[in-house]
Amino acid sequence: MTGALLRHEAVLACLVCVALAGLAFLSDRFFTTENLLNQGRLMSEVGLVALAMTFVIITGGIDLSVGSILGLSAILLGVFWQNAGLPLEAAIVLAIASGTLAGLVNGIIITRFKVPPLIATLATLALYRGLAEGISQARSVRGYPNWFFAFGQGEVLGIPFQLWVLAVATVVCAVILGLTPFGRATYAIGANEVAARFSGIRVDATKLWIYAGTGFLAALAAVIFVSRVTTTRSDMGTGLELDVITGVVLGGTSIFGGRGTIIGTALGLILIQALKNGLALSGVKGDGTIVVIGIVLIIAILVSAVIDRSRGG
Amino acid sequence: MMKLTMAAALCLGLMSGTAVAASAWTGGDDLPTNALACDGTAGAAQAKPYDGGEPANPPDRASKKITVVDIPKLIGIGYFNATSKGIQDAATELGNVDAKTDGPTKANIDEQITFIDNYITSGVDGILFAANDPVAIAPVLKKALSKGINVVGYDANSTPDARQWFVNQAEFNGIAKALIDNMAKEIGEEGAFAIVTSTFTTPNQARWIAEMAAYAAACHPKMKWLETVEAQEDNNLSFNQATTLINKHGDELKGIFGMTSVATPASAEAVTQAGKCGQIAVVGLATPNAMKPYVEKDCVKSVVLWNPVDLGYAAMHVMRQVADGALKAGATSVKAGKLGDLQVINGSEILLGPPFIFTKANIGEFDF
Repeated sequence: MTGALLRHEAVLACLVCVALAGLAFLSDRFFTTENLLNQGRLMSEVGLVALAMTFVIITGGIDLSVGSILGLSAILLGVFWQNAGLPLEAAIVLAIASGTLAGLVNGIIITRFKVPPLIATLATLALYRGLAEGISQARSVRGYPNWFFAFGQGEVLGIPFQLWVLAVATVVCAVILGLTPFGRATYAIGANEVAARFSGIRVDATKLWIYAGTGFLAALAAVIFVSRVTTTRSDMGTGLELDVITGVVLGGTSIFGGRGTIIGTALGLILIQALKNGLALSGVKGDGTIVVIGIVLIIAILVSAVIDRSRGG
Repeated sequence: MMKLTMAAALCLGLMSGTAVAASAWTGGDDLPTNALACDGTAGAAQAKPYDGGEPANPPDRASKKITVVDIPKLIGIGYFNATSKGIQDAATELGNVDAKTDGPTKANIDEQITFIDNYITSGVDGILFAANDPVAIAPVLKKALSKGINVVGYDANSTPDARQWFVNQAEFNGIAKALIDNMAKEIGEEGAFAIVTSTFTTPNQARWIAEMAAYAAACHPKMKWLETVEAQEDNNLSFNQATTLINKHGDELKGIFGMTSVATPASAEAVTQAGKCGQIAVVGLATPNAMKPYVEKDCVKSVVLWNPVDLGYAAMHVMRQVADGALKAGATSVKAGKLGDLQVINGSEILLGPPFIFTKANIGEFDF
């Protein structure tokens, strides 16, 4: 099985290289340090959530509510700070805690009440967005102090702040998924949940952790997002779930569970971001870019399926 | 575990009760309003110093060919197709501008920021924009200014210091007055109405609604506002929201305001399909082509708008003059080709003119 996985990642890595080279050829402004770092900045929010989504999809689940959790956490950050008058530091912590709680609620609905993840998170997608709209009364919160903008706009050692966060989160997630019993439990649940249960794996607890973790990372992304755009809106993160799932699936994670890696997800994200940016720089308009991304996604999945079949999978 | 769920649900539920609305009507913003006099006498214009931004070390672009990108809120709708046409018309007329329009397919600020960021990297000379959010768009526009790019807004403003000039299609209180007066004429001074808007935070719509509330309170105090609903700028959603309003309020509902060029025709269609033509008035902002069928059937009597082709045309002329260095801080008017002299208001805004009312008598003369 690991052989097949490496195959998909190898195919993907080649695709990324071809894309980078091709795009650098099409536009001389693409392959510059400044542009690449800037793209990393723009990719961070989707990237953070995609890391968590990789775990979710490997267990055979899905979390459609991530965009809404991001919106809700962002709104709560503003409300705690401006309306409740808390210090901004405390508001950040509380907003992240609320996001984690929202993720935990997803996990509880899925494990306790045996609701399929697709349905459960479809419901909370609407619920959390509705709460965000209701709590904010559809008003933006603005006027954050300057130090707060460091998270979304600042740099550390010449690299955007959020790229460091994304890098650390990627390494942590890769280690957890690849090298720990928790990671092996994640794969086992996705491969065969019943077998995992009978092998003594704490299936429900593992899932709870994963969904709560997804909420946590979505809320972290929300803080970075608010800092980057300097304002809070209740419609933030709308449609985020689709970008995230596209990246994860392109990265070779099986939507049926049991298969996938963090490296694959990272490559998938890089490929999509590079295409979006590179095509825009070489003069392709927005609608054309979406078409190309759709085609690349289909090709990547087809190639991977063909390889699987030829190996008797 | 069950307890935890309950507690969590309760927590989230309680939080939703804390915020308080500031505008009289939902969907309005909480900025101060400035309602016009009921009989339409113009208020005194206040002189205000230039409050726009300046690009850092722009190259000398005077009379040189410049590349300009136009990034509207979204592409593929009639309204922004019309502004885009105006921009192209002006570019052709000027002869030394290479202009193109690109942007997100949904009115989404996240995507719009990414588009602008990419065009900054690709090295354009000028950026024309219509903001999806006045504050969220500011950092990326300031970045453009810091790279020496000329930035001019039209249709939907950003915070003033994030761009150089803004071409204002019509003052908010002027539009608000036109909308409310026409509605009052159609449904009477005591009629009840609802509003279909984009989202509660979209800057123009929020401003208009706040101004409408202020003007109605002063000049038509007995008119009754029922509710405001959000419909993005989505055709299907607007239709559904308008249909829901008709079913929910029954005979009480006498009028619907469409606050976007998508919501107005969709509301008119909803009224038509519900067989309520003549019983429920639709007044709103829309492009004439989309409204012709309803106006010709007498289902809609007044459509309020400015001419978006002129708006794009003016924005392009302003951009050219800014790039040439001809339009500087402190100017009181600006020449905009066939439109003649346009007035500078509010420090760094350029006013296109009073709103235009399309009726059955004149709508046939317009094609956009």
